[in-house]
Amino acid sequence: MTEKATQNFIETYERTQARLPGADSWLSRRRETAVKAFAEAGLPHRRLEEWKYTDLRQVLEKAAFAPAPAHEGAVILPDSRSAAAFAAIDRYTVVFVNGRYRADLSHTSRLPKGVELHPLVDVVHEQWARDLVERRLDDGRQAENVVDLNTALMNDGACLRIRKGVKLDKPLHLLFFTADAGASHTRNLILIENEAEATIFETHVGAEAGFANIVTDVSLAEGARLGHLKLQDEATGAVHLATMRTRLEASAHFTSFTLTLGCGVSRGQNFVLFAGEGAEAHVNGAYALRGTQHSDQFCVIDHAVPGCTSHTLFKGVLDDSSEGVFQGKVIVRPHAQKTDGRQMTQALLLSRNAAMNAKPELEIYADDVQCAHGSTVGELSRDAIFYLRSRGIPELQARQLLISAFLDEALDLVPHEMARNALKSLTDDWFAEARA
Amino acid sequence: MAAVRETVETVGEVEKYKYGFFTDIESEKAPLGLTEDTVRFISAKKNEPEWLLEWRLAAFRRWLTMTEPTWAKVTYPPIDFQDAYYYSAPKQMAKLDSLDQVDPKLLETYAKLGIPLTEQKMLAGVAVDAVFDSVSVVTTFKEKLAEVGVIFCPMSEAVQKHPELVKKYLGSVVPTSDNFYATLNSAVFSEGSFVYIPEGVRCPMELSTYFRINEKQTGQFERTLIIADKGSYVSYLEGCTAPQRDENQLHAAVVELVTHDDAEIKYSTVQNWFPGDEEGKGGVYNFVTKRGDCRGVNSKISWTQVETGSAITWKYPSCILRGDNSRGEFYSIAISNGHQQVDSGTKMIHLGRNTTSRIISKGIAAGHSSNTYRGLVSVHRKAENVRNFTQCDSLLIGDRCSAHTVPYIETKNPTAVLEHEATTSKISDDQLFYCMQRGIGEEEAVALIVNGFCRDVLQQLPMEFAVEAQKLVGISLEGSVG
Repeated sequence: MTEKATQNFIETYERTQARLPGADSWLSRRRETAVKAFAEAGLPHRRLEEWKYTDLRQVLEKAAFAPAPAHEGAVILPDSRSAAAFAAIDRYTVVFVNGRYRADLSHTSRLPKGVELHPLVDVVHEQWARDLVERRLDDGRQAENVVDLNTALMNDGACLRIRKGVKLDKPLHLLFFTADAGASHTRNLILIENEAEATIFETHVGAEAGFANIVTDVSLAEGARLGHLKLQDEATGAVHLATMRTRLEASAHFTSFTLTLGCGVSRGQNFVLFAGEGAEAHVNGAYALRGTQHSDQFCVIDHAVPGCTSHTLFKGVLDDSSEGVFQGKVIVRPHAQKTDGRQMTQALLLSRNAAMNAKPELEIYADDVQCAHGSTVGELSRDAIFYLRSRGIPELQARQLLISAFLDEALDLVPHEMARNALKSLTDDWFAEARA
Repeated sequence: MAAVRETVETVGEVEKYKYGFFTDIESEKAPLGLTEDTVRFISAKKNEPEWLLEWRLAAFRRWLTMTEPTWAKVTYPPIDFQDAYYYSAPKQMAKLDSLDQVDPKLLETYAKLGIPLTEQKMLAGVAVDAVFDSVSVVTTFKEKLAEVGVIFCPMSEAVQKHPELVKKYLGSVVPTSDNFYATLNSAVFSEGSFVYIPEGVRCPMELSTYFRINEKQTGQFERTLIIADKGSYVSYLEGCTAPQRDENQLHAAVVELVTHDDAEIKYSTVQNWFPGDEEGKGGVYNFVTKRGDCRGVNSKISWTQVETGSAITWKYPSCILRGDNSRGEFYSIAISNGHQQVDSGTKMIHLGRNTTSRIISKGIAAGHSSNTYRGLVSVHRKAENVRNFTQCDSLLIGDRCSAHTVPYIETKNPTAVLEHEATTSKISDDQLFYCMQRGIGEEEAVALIVNGFCRDVLQQLPMEFAVEAQKLVGISLEGSVG
């Protein structure tokens, strides 16, 4: 028997498939296959090892999201610090409301030559988009269950292609805003060609309880560079599921940072595949949770070829009854010699009821490698607090200092200086709010 | 071995008659396959009380509803559980007249381990002359233990002589419903050791299955139960450093440890069963459930294991740290070569306040083998001031082997301080070059470096084992370089 939430998604597909982008192309066949696979597997649940700590089936069963309505007309962005976090930075902006592209709210004029930016519907007929969606170049399959759901129902997304050698002069800011409750399925496609460069910001905000299922497929050609920064601060009733799959050709460079502050339940999945030698990936993140928030960071780095470097650091602060999860895996395939893979996760528990689950894995099939992982969980050092207090710093301030210092270690890795400062002030505010 | 067993059996005869059971076991064998009748047959053979039969049957019925676990990182053809004998009298090995008839490969290994000649004969199954007086060995240590009130006997004897203890503790750490193999073991276990250390007693010697020669062939479903009462201490050694000629393919043993207030159990294992041939054919499947329960305050359980044998190892010696201030330790060396597959680790479950645990795991993979560490550190809501340190290092020798680390860290209490670190690397060329340049052969150099890598664990072994284990490390890696 298929459970209700899965059934709802399948029904949505049947009802809307004719109106989804690419209904007359290869994509409709792809959607058909995906929905079948999804119907068979259902929503992931805790009996699957990868979903051991986050039971998506149960969460969505309880919340029962209807599809998000298309939002026409004026939109007032929430007056929150997160929504305005990057306001001071000179950037291109693309706005999505309820998972749909809004040209009227976006500012993308004067993009440099060789930079193509379109909503999903405009690129489905292009070969590069098809290659990315079908992931023809990858042997491995990752997170197929939720990606299938996305493939079946995706109706919009930002598609960016940067031609050979072109550098995007300003960061591209993708702003996702939930104006009405409901489920949305977004697919972003990013292709950075040889020696090209880009920096992308992603902000997810909204006061409504939505379910955002976002899949971002990234392909970095030889020597390409991508800096990716994501800020997620949605309403506590919201469920956020983001999957990012990145493929790196030789000498490509990828830096990603995710700051998670919002959502009742969020899960960020990061898959990195090294397909060419000498590539480098930095997958980092920080999270600060309170109330009954639950956040799951899932990260798989696949060293399929020799001589690549990957570094992962996730740091989190957990207050009240919140729950943090980190699941990471570094795979070193046979013959992927000279791999350097490092993975670290640290969590700070601020409250008696907070909980942390960590599972950093190594899977290694080659011998000439340097691989290490570490994990620590604990509370604020009493000695450190005492030290500060003995020098006249009030306890609250001492705690804040220590927490900021803890998170800063991760935030220092944000790939854009101004954005780094913006995120740092956000986390400082987070703590101030907690005590207000 | 056979001869020794005979000697012991002769002595044992006296006891057997005294208690009126064990009659004519030599000729009997349970019918092929596993049914309720098999369970009844085993229970009747052992002249077990009604409650134990019921306990076995409940486990058997439960087992029928269970499926084999598949989550471990090991692959093997499906096991036909109906194509096995679950009870048979100890096998009589072909008697050999002198060491000359023994496989020279085996002798070579014994020589490298430095095993005395008489012992070599015993292990290889050569008739040992009367000089080797095992009987006196057995009796002296039995007397010594009886003096202080320590009970150390086969499980079947304990069921007869100390039913209240067995009834109280059997299955209290590893319940019959625990997992597929533990449940199977509960239904059909045939032998094992039972140890009870009374209050305040420090066991005067290290207990070892090695001493209990009469129990050498304990069969594939061993059940061990060790209870350390308040303030007592015992060190228990299991296994043997020399390769055993073992015919059983599947070993599904269960070991249960219980420590009361201020008690301590140190459990050491050296496992060197047949790992299969060069092509990975044959070899023992070692599916073992080992768990210790620190019930009392200030109690301590320490597991030390050196795993070098078996085709497949599936083993997670664990500690339930229930008592306040209790401590759990796990020291492990897992060496895999050839086509061996090891999936081993530990679970530290912190329930009590101020409980501490330490995990040191060293995995060495060579040849085509796969070596996985899988561990859980879990801190429950009420466990204050928990401290855990975990270190798991892997060493890869050659580019066709693999090493995996799968740690689970779960905390529900902010006062817990948990640290985990893991590294994977190969033997550094510099180290190897340094040794070889000074005239040490490559194989020897590797053994030397690996021994250094394992030092933290080897140091935890009791003296008698440590020396042999060090040599064993070298032997297990033979043929892995060059």
